Amino acid sequence: MKKLRAVILDEKMDKVVRELHEEGLVELCDLASKLEDPEWAGLLSPSSPAPYIRDVSALLIKTNRFLDLFDSVKEEEKGGLKELLNPTLPPKEKVNFSSADEVIAYGRSLLEEVEGEVKELADRLNHLENRINYLQQLKSYLNYLKDFEVDLEYLKSGPYTYVVVGLIPEERVSQLKEKVSSITDNLSEVVEGKPVVTGERERKVPVVVVTLKEYKDKVSGELRRSGFERIEVSNLKGTPGENLERIEKEIRECEKEREDILNKLRELAKKWYRKLLVLHELLEIEKERAESYTYYGRTERTYMLEGWVPEKYVDRVKNTIERASEGCGVVEVREPDEPEEKIPVMLDNPKPVKPFEMLTEMFAPPKYNEIDPTLLIVPGFLIFYGIMLTDAVYGLLLTLIGLFVWKKLGKVSEGARNIGYILTLAGIATVIAGIITGGYLGDFLKEFLGFDIYKTPFALVNPLGESFYINELRPLLKLGSISVDNGPIAILLFSILVGILHLFIGLVVGFKENLEKKGFKEAFLNQGIWLLLIIGLALGLVTNMPSIILATVALVVLLCIVRGYMKGGILDAMLGVMDITGFLGNVLSYARLLALCLATGGLAMAVNIMAKLIGDSVPVIGILLALIVLLIGHTFNFVMNGLGAFIHSLRLHYVEFFGQFYEGGGKKFQPFKARREYTTVN
Amino acid sequence: MVFDNPLLLGAIGAGLAVGIAGFGSGVGAGIAGASGAGVIAEDPSKFGTAIVFQALPQTQGLYGFLVAILILFVFQSAPEWAMVGAGIATGLAGLSAIGQGIASSAGLGAVAEDEKIFGKAMVFSVLPETQAIYGLLVAILLLVGVFGKSPGATTIAALGAGLAVGFAGLSGIGQGITAAGAIGATARDPDAMGKGLVLAVMPETFAIFGLLIAILIMLGIMF
Repeated sequence: MKKLRAVILDEKMDKVVRELHEEGLVELCDLASKLEDPEWAGLLSPSSPAPYIRDVSALLIKTNRFLDLFDSVKEEEKGGLKELLNPTLPPKEKVNFSSADEVIAYGRSLLEEVEGEVKELADRLNHLENRINYLQQLKSYLNYLKDFEVDLEYLKSGPYTYVVVGLIPEERVSQLKEKVSSITDNLSEVVEGKPVVTGERERKVPVVVVTLKEYKDKVSGELRRSGFERIEVSNLKGTPGENLERIEKEIRECEKEREDILNKLRELAKKWYRKLLVLHELLEIEKERAESYTYYGRTERTYMLEGWVPEKYVDRVKNTIERASEGCGVVEVREPDEPEEKIPVMLDNPKPVKPFEMLTEMFAPPKYNEIDPTLLIVPGFLIFYGIMLTDAVYGLLLTLIGLFVWKKLGKVSEGARNIGYILTLAGIATVIAGIITGGYLGDFLKEFLGFDIYKTPFALVNPLGESFYINELRPLLKLGSISVDNGPIAILLFSILVGILHLFIGLVVGFKENLEKKGFKEAFLNQGIWLLLIIGLALGLVTNMPSIILATVALVVLLCIVRGYMKGGILDAMLGVMDITGFLGNVLSYARLLALCLATGGLAMAVNIMAKLIGDSVPVIGILLALIVLLIGHTFNFVMNGLGAFIHSLRLHYVEFFGQFYEGGGKKFQPFKARREYTTVN
Repeated sequence: MVFDNPLLLGAIGAGLAVGIAGFGSGVGAGIAGASGAGVIAEDPSKFGTAIVFQALPQTQGLYGFLVAILILFVFQSAPEWAMVGAGIATGLAGLSAIGQGIASSAGLGAVAEDEKIFGKAMVFSVLPETQAIYGLLVAILLLVGVFGKSPGATTIAALGAGLAVGFAGLSGIGQGITAAGAIGATARDPDAMGKGLVLAVMPETFAIFGLLIAILIMLGIMF
């Protein structure tokens, strides 16, 4: 990473910003914090967003409004599942705008055109929807009053009378009647209709209350207390039945007109939707540019910008700025002078390894100047995955799924592309491991076809017993009293050896890193001790001299105690002895390779045994049931162990492997870059 | 030989394996499931995520089932005490599923808030499975007869090996609690992942002690 600083004449600034944004190779630094320093504040003043941000934001709001409108009328796109499984890339529109003003002018004219065609329809649609809502409401009221065969005009208060219509809860009707007649000295009438069930599922009774005007306040107070819900129908003429007919007709007309308008809007959506998406993207990009100005500092006639540039792009960026500013800019590139945790980090791996950066970033991106462990993850991850899933058929299935995710779903999503790529490779590793261990849907061949692959030379090891190559008569090797004469012990031995090798690689990398940064002492105390232990053990085993092993272990224990003492006195020295168990724990953790390898094969076998039992014991439909058990059982086993293999493989890297040399915690390089999905500039 | 047919004791081993481990997985999956139900009430589209996290503590039950099948159908001629030992090892170590359920529940909660944390939450949630794997490992070593005629793997001593790795496997519950805390910390600050892992791996030390003693017993060098 290099620090870039440029001072550019104000009239050239916009061009520079645009070009840098398209190129996307610089991460801008906010100068605001620098401006708190009085020395800098004397030279520079803070800069505000570019003036065109107001127009851009206004147009953006308008565009969003039209997009929302079109979204609401658009029909669901057909072929949802097909589109989901094999998404088509939106075609990119070539655009060529050289300034924000051009984009604004284009946006204005486009939006005006859209508005001209859409506004009237949208307003009418809005009006119709309100009208329909109102009529529906009225309709439900009139339905309550259907029993009163009376002209609604008469249900109006007259010069001397007070008439009110509404609903009250069924259980309060008689009480209300009594109360009203008592407070009005019997000068009133409460007419009730048939009980109805309202939208809220309550039983209510429509009532008409008629009394003299002078009792209005008293009566309406009483009505309120009994939960009266007033219905406003006073502006209607004719009986409820007549009105209902009329309203239903009007609703039908309104709905028909609404459907017409929706159809017209759908046509317009086809015409404009894509253009609006393009405009939306263009405006978003302009907005980002305008906002970037707050990162710069300014003098009377110039802007100053600071940013991070990856070393290999320095010349390109320099050229871009010089060309865009037409010579009216000064560029200075320096080594970073800030604390390391503030410097961003860009992972830069060759293309076949790049998708694995995802796994590194999931842990934490490396710190500045720390080694990028991505390349080191690849072989271990794939080998471990293969060993843990170990089934050629599952592996093939995984490869196919991986290819599908990579090639189809990966077209629109970078995450899917990466994970698909990783799964494809992991699937191939699984096929290889499956062939070596003779796993084809577990022991499917033996269970159903009577073909025992382990008696033939086609499988190297049997995770559950003896094979053609490794059996009691032909042990692989003898370790003291233990003879490596069957599959599980051979795989266990292999797992431990792979584990030690894996740790060894991690330790060597860590040793080298520490040696360069902190010197020999740190490197030796942190990694050297364990390297010594591994080398001593290996030497002892190869030469078959237990004394070497004993001597190395004693030496390492001693060193651990010394290291503990140097760290924090006697107590830490005693705890230092525990480090040995920690290291042993790391090694033993790799034994999970055997356990999970056997779990896949074993569970597949359990599925086969169950299917066979059912197939043999149930007559006629037994075969069908057995097929169902096989299908569900193997799918389940594949998913569970496929997932398990992935995470346990990651765990071995994150906990055991990274523990030896990697800390992570850097800041990821986030360039100032235009995100284009619907448009392209070249 | 205690009985004429070694499978009579073997059946007890199979029962212990699938019974105890099933109990652990049931409780663990229950804890994770409760959290899953809460999450999908908020956002039904998270159903798939909830299922994945709930699946994690179920593996222990599967290991128990696997060992039961292995005892009853595959390694019928293994030493009878080895069968019981294998059952105890897988069964008790399967109780680590309770811890894994706690961790998965926290992981699910964190992912519901922020999908980006899925991978990290997964790694933490899978930590307490190590204990169950060690239990399975010892069971396999016992059943396959890796240590030959060693009295540690063929006589009643095999129960000792099973108990060592089985009970030490209960450390998975503690580990689950730490992992749940570490998931919370990582959700707040993604950089806490590395240090969180160091803390969350600590309780595993005791599972390793258990595994070591189990291996020493099976080697039988002291007899």
